[in-house]
Amino acid sequence: MMTESVAGEMIKPDEGDTVGVASIRVNVGLLDTLMTLAGELVLSRNQLLQGVSTANIRATELSSQRIDLITSELQDAIMRTRMQPMADVFSKFKRIVRDLSGKLGKSIDLDIQGHDVELDKTIQESIGEPLTRLVEHSVCYGIETPEQREQAGKTATGKLTVQAFHDAGQVNVLVSDDGRGLDEKIADDASRTAVMDSVVSTIERLGGMIDIKSTSGKGTDIHIKLPLTLAIIPSQITSVGAERYALPQVNLEELLRIPAGQIQEKIEKVGDAAVVRLRGELLPLLDLAQVLGIEKDYVDPETNQHLSDRRKNIADRRSKQHLTNDEGGVETAPEPSGSLPQRKRKDRRSTRGSAVNIAVVAAGPYKYGLMVDQLHDSEEIVVKPVGRHLKHCTAYAGATIMGDGKVALILDIANLAHLAGLSIVSDALQAVKISEGMRKTDSNREALLTFKQSEKDCFAVPLNLVERIERIKTSSIEQIGNRKVVQYRGGALPLHDLSQVMALNPLVEKENQEIIIFRIKGKELGLMVSPPVDSVEAILDIDESTLSQPGIKGSIIINGHTTLLVNMFDMARIVKPEWFAD
Amino acid sequence: MLKKDTNESTDLTGFSTFFVGDSLFGIDVLTIQEINRNFEVTQVPQSPDYVYGILNLRGKIVTIIDLGKKLGLGPVENNTISRNIIINSQGELLGLMVTDLGDILHADCKMLEPAPSNFNRVKGSCFKGVLKTENQLIGILDMNELLQD
Repeated sequence: MMTESVAGEMIKPDEGDTVGVASIRVNVGLLDTLMTLAGELVLSRNQLLQGVSTANIRATELSSQRIDLITSELQDAIMRTRMQPMADVFSKFKRIVRDLSGKLGKSIDLDIQGHDVELDKTIQESIGEPLTRLVEHSVCYGIETPEQREQAGKTATGKLTVQAFHDAGQVNVLVSDDGRGLDEKIADDASRTAVMDSVVSTIERLGGMIDIKSTSGKGTDIHIKLPLTLAIIPSQITSVGAERYALPQVNLEELLRIPAGQIQEKIEKVGDAAVVRLRGELLPLLDLAQVLGIEKDYVDPETNQHLSDRRKNIADRRSKQHLTNDEGGVETAPEPSGSLPQRKRKDRRSTRGSAVNIAVVAAGPYKYGLMVDQLHDSEEIVVKPVGRHLKHCTAYAGATIMGDGKVALILDIANLAHLAGLSIVSDALQAVKISEGMRKTDSNREALLTFKQSEKDCFAVPLNLVERIERIKTSSIEQIGNRKVVQYRGGALPLHDLSQVMALNPLVEKENQEIIIFRIKGKELGLMVSPPVDSVEAILDIDESTLSQPGIKGSIIINGHTTLLVNMFDMARIVKPEWFAD
Repeated sequence: MLKKDTNESTDLTGFSTFFVGDSLFGIDVLTIQEINRNFEVTQVPQSPDYVYGILNLRGKIVTIIDLGKKLGLGPVENNTISRNIIINSQGELLGLMVTDLGDILHADCKMLEPAPSNFNRVKGSCFKGVLKTENQLIGILDMNELLQD
């Protein structure tokens, strides 16, 4: 009587383009492994039951250990049944390239590597088409005719490489050619940009990333990173009231925490809608509790009455927020909403320094701030479908089971915006533009990250160069020779500070150390700085002469302070000359 | 109990009975997967009023229906005697929150009488029929009809 059909498609099936393949090829050896494991599981269960019924603690412990092991192995084996080799996708490329290049009179040498790299069947099915498009694109527009190539001083035969490999828990696919590069091509034909756009959107929908590097006349490298599986997605866990909500990491842009003291200044009302000021842009703000109609009760400490909680926020302890500047907050700051009754006395909520926690999210045309009570950790969650009685609840993309066994709902960011009646207003549009990397539209304005070395001086770097900001324990920094490193995400992160490239006072050693992480030449580098680390938007009116020196691009005025703009590439060239050896 | 002394005994259907408020209802025992007391639900904002919440049942997400609200009899109170009947309905698992459990009865489906249009204050179309026992009437629920969506 067990039902099987509930465990159907893992993620909301996208309209029409995932052809339902009902069967899958599984290696017989793997099937045998599964059978063996199932048998083992039954045996261990019997032992466990026996141990429990005879109150034999030793036997119970042993069998629970075995069940623990078997469960992990079983999960691993079952996940492997969903894995399919890239060969299925790659097999048709040879013919496509031969046919197309024959038709176009081109000579192309196709090199395919990584046939046996495996990835989840749902992803493998969806990636076939965009990859084919990319290969066709390279053959048609990337690689030149033999005559053109010889004129350009290249070999007559062009080289097209398609390569798949595993790296950092992701499947990487590299499509590279030694053709003429992308720059010239864009001017040629609008339909080609359309091809690229569709490829980019497919990859992003799969939760992947695409990076296109092109050198005019030299060739194009397209690097695609895909998750191994769609059934497990990285998510930010948030909570409102008693329940937790998972927010897919693909939709998450950044986390914001606005201290009580800055609420008035950062959150404004435009008509009925609240907006948050983020680096000069206005971002619509949705309160998750309000959109979903969650009633939050709290007990009045004096009268013991249950009151409907109209508070917009709760003090937060664990947020991995983007900004590391700490509470400048005063408790009596007014709440963002005008509908709130004025507080006559301090209650328990206001004494906790009511900061507002906002997840800045984006999905399709929408970009907005989502206000939640608390921001928790980022977790890998397993997506599960919800039943038919909840199909009208469009705010959710499914549900997941948390570590404690309770269910948490997964938010559908686009539908949530729709539900809240969020229109794609000009403010939002402007925000979307920024998210798409068109930062240059607004004359010379640029988002900067400001920080300090010592009390007096102010520095800034362009925010788009920053990978992450971390706060680590100073004790975890290891000194090796005259170099400093910290163990970080399974590797050693080199640490430097500005006093290594210019005459400055060394950093004051404290219990915690703020680090700004940059990615330069594909490698990560940590810059140790002093707080406050803050993001601002400033007009880049750079004075390049007065305070110019190695590692410094020039100076600008931010909030009345002369701020030195750090040139990270210069800095890296000085502290890591070996990275620039080529 | 209601077994007839004829050869028709092979046609007997088992009915699991339960209380919703003070009223007695029954469903085909074969649709039931299990009965438990697990009400550790996650509330789903914006869900229909009769959805009590969703539950993790050994890795599957189960929607728990407050049968009292669904039948229009007022909410079922979550206490020590309330039970969660997990049924298999149209290919998915659903939990029915009921006030208390009754007996399991065996009866011939032919003995079901059509339900009056307002049996136990519940719409007649929700029933497959009414089963008469010596001292009471049991409304046999049509789960497909009742839990359409």
